[in-house]
Amino acid sequence: MRDAGLSERHKAILWWAGLLATLAGVAWLCRDFRWPVVWQSAPFLLRGLGISWLLTLVSVGIGMVAGIALAAARLAAPPGLRHLAVGYVELLRAVPQLMVIFWVFFTWPAMTGQALSAWAAAIASLSMIAAAYLAEVVRAGLQSVPRVQVESGLVTGLSHGTIFLRVVLPQALRNMLPALVAHIVMMFKITSLVYVIGLIDFFRAIILVNNRDFAPYALYTTMAAGYFLCCYALSWLVRRLDPKYSLTT
Amino acid sequence: MALNWEVVWEYRAALADGLKLTLDLSAWSLVGSLALGTLVGCLGALPGYFTRRLVAAYVELLRNLPVVVKLFFLYFAVGLDAMAAGYLALITHQSAYVADVIASGFRSVPREQSEAALVLGHSRFQVFRHVLLPQVFRLVLPPLTNQFIEVVKNSAIVMLVGVQELTFQAQNIESETFRGFEAASVATACYVLIALAIAGGMALLQRRLRLA
Repeated sequence: MRDAGLSERHKAILWWAGLLATLAGVAWLCRDFRWPVVWQSAPFLLRGLGISWLLTLVSVGIGMVAGIALAAARLAAPPGLRHLAVGYVELLRAVPQLMVIFWVFFTWPAMTGQALSAWAAAIASLSMIAAAYLAEVVRAGLQSVPRVQVESGLVTGLSHGTIFLRVVLPQALRNMLPALVAHIVMMFKITSLVYVIGLIDFFRAIILVNNRDFAPYALYTTMAAGYFLCCYALSWLVRRLDPKYSLTT
Repeated sequence: MALNWEVVWEYRAALADGLKLTLDLSAWSLVGSLALGTLVGCLGALPGYFTRRLVAAYVELLRNLPVVVKLFFLYFAVGLDAMAAGYLALITHQSAYVADVIASGFRSVPREQSEAALVLGHSRFQVFRHVLLPQVFRLVLPPLTNQFIEVVKNSAIVMLVGVQELTFQAQNIESETFRGFEAASVATACYVLIALAIAGGMALLQRRLRLA
């Protein structure tokens, strides 16, 4: 499309007007869906959405701690430990997330003879996935801190541990903030898979309501809108933090 | 616990079928998302304001929805059959990422290069073909490797609508024989091998191109 000599501002106004008109058109097309089903189940669905968020934040929290350990191991540990860390990260990033959930929920109990609750399995598998991805984020963050900082710390007489915790890590964390938020988006999307082990997150809540009331158009549109809005809000935050950060990882 | 690898041998036909289906799904989704993503990404690199905004909207819309949500929407709400919903979900999902990779590849070639070539009297198509494309192609190979591996990983979710691919077969063996460890090991090994093959192939391609 060639722009016919419009100013940037006019083009922006035209774009947003067009977008709003499109959204209004889509809403008009969806007017006959059985929306009352969605309203009636709203508390149940919102509770599911809350569980999705809870799972995301808990797994990112645990994954962050484990990720820092993995990244530190990858960068500074003796060879044996380092290869273990590299192997873990690469393995978890090469295998489908469903496969990881499958390992934790079905295979682990079969091997040890101890059943895991759905919550424990969900948090364990999501944290394992988060740890692998966040390890790479932390590694990039740690490598972004100039080497001189470590050397100055050593010259000043600080121990390696103090330098890592008080000098390098705080700066690394600040540098990796956009990447961290981007990976929260990723983890939020992955939580939609734990419905397979019976946890009532947003995804399963939608499916359960649909099984009872059968209103697939209204419910699946609500599901798409719910996931989109949550992920979009986080993606927007990433761009606020760093306009140049690429969300494609 | 005692391992019993004979189970894997007994179910070899099922596992092979699953692997074949996974490869099938991955390969076609990879080709589809590469084609669609390249097309959208090239459009995003055009100078027009509205095409740029439209491409950005396409990328945002598809990237901020989980693949399963797309799959279930296409399968249960739109009513496509399982395989069609699977292909469409995988292709549209990854095409957004590929489009972003391609568009940012074009953006990273300094504008002065195209301007210089235009000034020298080359046509827009010549600039695209001989100045931009060779550079962009090299730039996007490393991020595309990740995207291709993502396609293979995402193909596992298609089992949720009943397509009997590799993860489905592993889970099926577990539910029929309680030999989940053996089945999951084989399936995991297959996924790792596929990822290694993609990474190796792409590395080879990169090396060949750098020499050329």
